[in-house]
Amino acid sequence: MTHYAMVIDLNTCVGCNACMAACALENQTPVWDEHKWRTYVHDNEIGFGEDTHRRFFPRLCNHCDNPPCMTVCPTGATTKQPNGIVKVDQNLCMGCRACAMACPYHARVDVTYADVRRGRDFYGSDYRRRRPSVDKCSFCDHRVAKGQEPACVETCVGSARLFGDLDEPRDPVARMVASGVARPLLPHIGTRPSVYYIDDLRWRG
Amino acid sequence: MDVTMTYATQGIWTWWIAIYLYFGGLGAATLAVTFLTDMYLKPHRKLVLWGAGSGVVLLALGSLMLFTHLLDHRAVIHILNPLVLINQPTAWIAWGTQFIIWMMAWGVLYALPYVSETPALQRLPVIRQLLAQRLVRGIAGLVARHRKLVGWLAVINGVGVAVYTGLLLQSFPGVALWANPGVPLLFTVSAFSTAMAFLLLLMYTVIRDAADDVIRGLYERIDLVLIASKLVILASLFFYLQRGSESAMRSWELLWTDLGWLIGFIGFGLLVPFFLELRGVITGWATRMPIIAASVFGLTGGYLLRHYFMYAGVYAYPW
Repeated sequence: MTHYAMVIDLNTCVGCNACMAACALENQTPVWDEHKWRTYVHDNEIGFGEDTHRRFFPRLCNHCDNPPCMTVCPTGATTKQPNGIVKVDQNLCMGCRACAMACPYHARVDVTYADVRRGRDFYGSDYRRRRPSVDKCSFCDHRVAKGQEPACVETCVGSARLFGDLDEPRDPVARMVASGVARPLLPHIGTRPSVYYIDDLRWRG
Repeated sequence: MDVTMTYATQGIWTWWIAIYLYFGGLGAATLAVTFLTDMYLKPHRKLVLWGAGSGVVLLALGSLMLFTHLLDHRAVIHILNPLVLINQPTAWIAWGTQFIIWMMAWGVLYALPYVSETPALQRLPVIRQLLAQRLVRGIAGLVARHRKLVGWLAVINGVGVAVYTGLLLQSFPGVALWANPGVPLLFTVSAFSTAMAFLLLLMYTVIRDAADDVIRGLYERIDLVLIASKLVILASLFFYLQRGSESAMRSWELLWTDLGWLIGFIGFGLLVPFFLELRGVITGWATRMPIIAASVFGLTGGYLLRHYFMYAGVYAYPW
């Protein structure tokens, strides 16, 4: 079996936001609203005076193995694929936003009727979306199916985002996760994420 | 992960979902209590008509509140089908929708024989035409013969709605205020307490019958127990939140430093009705006004509970 996962190295993310731009154009997200990006890079200052450093923290759907957004979805629009990717069927989603309330990673975003109308103008005749829904990252499954990496991974200049298969022991992503260098967010909640982070603070001292 | 944490409340489900949860719990519990009263305490046409009517209207208004805030209104068709429970048995909204639909259906059916023997309702144009239909008269006769079965089907779905309003919030694991077993308990007890307040208000204003003193006295006693239960659950929540995770502590700080919560909900929504009803049960009141006031306060408190719960849920984001 394949179990797709992502490792994000906070040491090498330079905050260029290329991942956000690549994701937005690849997936035709509502770029006109900063709250509706599928992936977002937070920019924080940590420390005081000369010890201050900036931390760029890329955030996206964690494609949990125990996804609360899926269990609360009343229409069955949110599903987990056998390859680990959590997807939304825009034709089934009624937009009650229970998934957005259930997600502890702030990974679900509204796409409204107004966004769909504006999307037609912004993206032109190639615009694929037809209906509103509560949107989320799909690990660019349409690219992955063709053997490509997700757009955010491919475009990352610092190689901060790595994509791989947890069920392939020789895969660098699987090895980083198995070694404990890359760790999940909020593991105590029991969501069992498929996105792992390599900490930067411990190396910076 | 050594992370910097950000704590945030949400602006996704706000006052309108508080109204949905409030009207849902109140309407369902009102209907359930009136039917149980009618089946086991005293057959009461007026109470059933008011209870079923109010319950159905409240549930319809609450559901409308949720419906108008959906992103894709056409897709709601997917949860109207009862088979949704087979596909999505873990989704409480799916259960809640089915409970609401079937509670309204059984509720209307239970009230149908009473509607057909109420002259005032028979004069209403649409109802008169409906009651003239042979099918409707047949159904009314069938319901009259199987009154308790229909009543219990409505009651079970009504209790389901009341419990669902709390289970829905409990299913959001990121927020300590919501994701704990006290919430379904609190919301269920609150639903029945507000239903008691609503029925007392009805029975001291529009349904005023001296023969109903026993029912009113029973409702006051039940409401006293329910308010006391709410106070116990709130006390346990108080200590759980105060000594819990950071998300819990932030919610505790938001709630227990807010005068609207302290004075509005706990003061006027719980303690004042409790003592007014306690005095009514122990020594009685010379007028009906104190119990009417207690009911109005209790009903307001029921909404405030849900309103503050929605706004005080704190997410802990690791960035």
